[in-house]
Amino acid sequence: MTGSVGPAQFRLLATFVACRSVDVEPAPAGEPAFTDCQRIFVSADASDAQQRREVLVQSALLGAGSLDRRLIKGLRTRRSVARRYLALEGNRVLADLAETIPLAAAVRPEEPRTASPDESLELARSRAEIPDPPRWFGSIRPERQLPPSAAIGAPASPKDLRISPDLVEPTDDEDDGEQGEKSKILKLFEAPAFQSQSFSDFLRRMFGGSRSDANNSAGGELQVGSIRRAAAAGPNARPLPTPIRFTDDGRPGAAVGVSGALHPEWDVFNDRYRPDWCRVVDFPITAAADISAAAVMRDEVLRRRLSRIGLGPKVLRGRPDGDELDIEALIDLFVDLNSGYSPPEHVYIQRRKLARDLGVLILVDASGSAIDTDGGGLAVHDHQRRAAATLAATLEELGDRVAVYAFRSQGRHAVQLPAIKTFDQRFGAVGRARLARLHPSGYTRLGAGIRGAGEILKTQAGTSNRLLLVLSDGFPYDDGYEGRYAEADANKALEELRADGVACLCLSIGAVTAAEALDRVFGSAGHASAATLDELSPTMDELFLSCLSELAAPRSQRG
Amino acid sequence: MTSCHPSIVDARPQAPFYRPVGDEVEVFRAAARRGSPVLLKGPTGCGKTRFVEAMAHDLGRDLITVAGHEDMTSADLVGRFLLKGGETVWVDGPLTRAVREGAIFYLDEIVEARQDTTVVIHPLADHRRELPVDRLGTTLPAAPGFQLVISYNPGYQSVLKNIKESTRQRFVAIELGFPPEEVETEVVAREAGIDLATARALVRLGNAVRNLDGSPLREVSSTRMLILAGGLAAEGLSLRSAVQAAVVQVLSDDRDVIRALGELVDAVLPPP
Repeated sequence: MTGSVGPAQFRLLATFVACRSVDVEPAPAGEPAFTDCQRIFVSADASDAQQRREVLVQSALLGAGSLDRRLIKGLRTRRSVARRYLALEGNRVLADLAETIPLAAAVRPEEPRTASPDESLELARSRAEIPDPPRWFGSIRPERQLPPSAAIGAPASPKDLRISPDLVEPTDDEDDGEQGEKSKILKLFEAPAFQSQSFSDFLRRMFGGSRSDANNSAGGELQVGSIRRAAAAGPNARPLPTPIRFTDDGRPGAAVGVSGALHPEWDVFNDRYRPDWCRVVDFPITAAADISAAAVMRDEVLRRRLSRIGLGPKVLRGRPDGDELDIEALIDLFVDLNSGYSPPEHVYIQRRKLARDLGVLILVDASGSAIDTDGGGLAVHDHQRRAAATLAATLEELGDRVAVYAFRSQGRHAVQLPAIKTFDQRFGAVGRARLARLHPSGYTRLGAGIRGAGEILKTQAGTSNRLLLVLSDGFPYDDGYEGRYAEADANKALEELRADGVACLCLSIGAVTAAEALDRVFGSAGHASAATLDELSPTMDELFLSCLSELAAPRSQRG
Repeated sequence: MTSCHPSIVDARPQAPFYRPVGDEVEVFRAAARRGSPVLLKGPTGCGKTRFVEAMAHDLGRDLITVAGHEDMTSADLVGRFLLKGGETVWVDGPLTRAVREGAIFYLDEIVEARQDTTVVIHPLADHRRELPVDRLGTTLPAAPGFQLVISYNPGYQSVLKNIKESTRQRFVAIELGFPPEEVETEVVAREAGIDLATARALVRLGNAVRNLDGSPLREVSSTRMLILAGGLAAEGLSLRSAVQAAVVQVLSDDRDVIRALGELVDAVLPPP
């Protein structure tokens, strides 16, 4: 997870030369450059120019097929032969490249002596005099080679699709090296915490996460209906979420409002989706709530501001200007004119976007990071909750379709979207109380949350203008999900939403997140932060409109 | 209507330059003789519009171009009544004008227009070859020489933006792609006014970007983009700066991608 500088900048060059997607990373200190067929490791402390040469020769070896298993499996124990083979092959592949890449011609040390990898291998095994390769040729390390077909990004196996009795799987062989190690340590800490929570026990009973005894009808076996794969298509192609069917011995999950899907996740380092990667489940909160905690602060400024937003197309008759003539108004005009009276010539029909047709899904971050408190003793989470309540009440009052969902995650297998208010419920006292009783826990897998919420918005809002309002500190973090990877995935999820005609606005209330981080995830126009909701209320209409108008604008990328 | 020119690049002044790659010119001419409507497919900047211009010039017909957009109504195509003094006056839209005059009507980026708008071209695109104008209560038969040409970019089609099947099936489809290296070099050299060596370097670069596996870019470097870069180089800018301005910075806004692309460009372009 390097920043803008570092060996990652050679990624496209390496991909081009190797004719396949490869990543570039620094090697452990002191080691020469090598490749494992999926990544190229370059000397960590070398200059840019040397790293560039290292990338060039290693990716050229990959592209020319010099590192095929067939050729180098015999070199595992024969270091000196491997070095001689590298010297010959390095020169050969650079010479081949010199035609298309001038840089290769510039760095090539000498004329090639062989014409094919097999010939090089034979010569390397012979007793012929072969000069040592320059240091920047790096090394060939057969023992580090990975199988060429990437396990990362492959569709989930049937094993992944089934919820095992333990939600935290002991081995996670799909993660690559570093992430895997990290996550195992994290899991040691997470597992007991997760199990101790009564809420998660409740969930498990509900979804059949644990074995159910014969008397308990609530624990059903989880079945997966189908696996769909997206064939490679246009640049905006992406894997579809795979719906999960919840069944139970009595009633199907849909009857109690439980639904879910396996959503893809964007892997920025490999520039591809990991299909069926995150299990996102939304379910109604049915726990009893204390009605007395249902007070919602009213915000008159917010109400006035939001009431100005009107977006649906509407035909206006008798306008002074417009696309078409309004025949009725025209006849009236002529009757008036012939009877000696000259009214204004308002005889056109205009189509303008006036009718209010807005569906809003408010997604409240209920992750553990939201419990940091501010000076007044109120946690970020409290601020967000209050803001969500005020916004939902105001929008509902104005006649919009509103839903409120909370969101948290615990690794990629457990992204939860508990529904506080669905689109079809009124935001009554019970809903308000549920929102007030929402306790933060878990982590923030933002991309999966956005995708899950977007799916709900698309299928259930039923309006032509749709807005996803994320109330979060905007800091994505989960098991194996952080830094640039997480930001890129969240960004991608938002991009998908926009392509599907859903606008997104992030309000960061009471939190102290660097504006730069929010910029990277939500784009400069897509977020606003303040200490309390009141500070944002006066500009809320502009915020809503700027997000929604982004959708109305013609897509610049369409040529 | 037939033309005996061996190639459409001819000596007539202002003939638009188009270098045929496959049999698209023959297909278009045959379709033109029959008056069959033509659908052009191809990525951004591969020469769809230029092809139509060249063919119109070659066939000696007028070309009326309309770019599709979301707010386009059928009145924008067919025409409308306007008020002039105390009278209503009918004003032909571009489609009606083309039908009356027997011109080639080119509807660019048809998927951008709403589908209910584009159905007005249906009666023109089948054996009827006529345009009903309901506001006038008449039906205009297409003049000889009228031909309908539409274009779209298949890469962008989504569920929302696609051509109706019933529209598609009325057309003869011609697919245009980026030309092969030799041809593209010639095109870039000629259009940008640069020497062949520079043009070849640009085209190599273009192909390098197009063939990236798992590319992070939405769009690849089009021929138009390479010509733009070549034009900058012809104005005396160094090739690297020209490519940086016209290709690298245009293809992405992501700083990491720009850097990575810059590295690729540096390696592929000849040393300064």
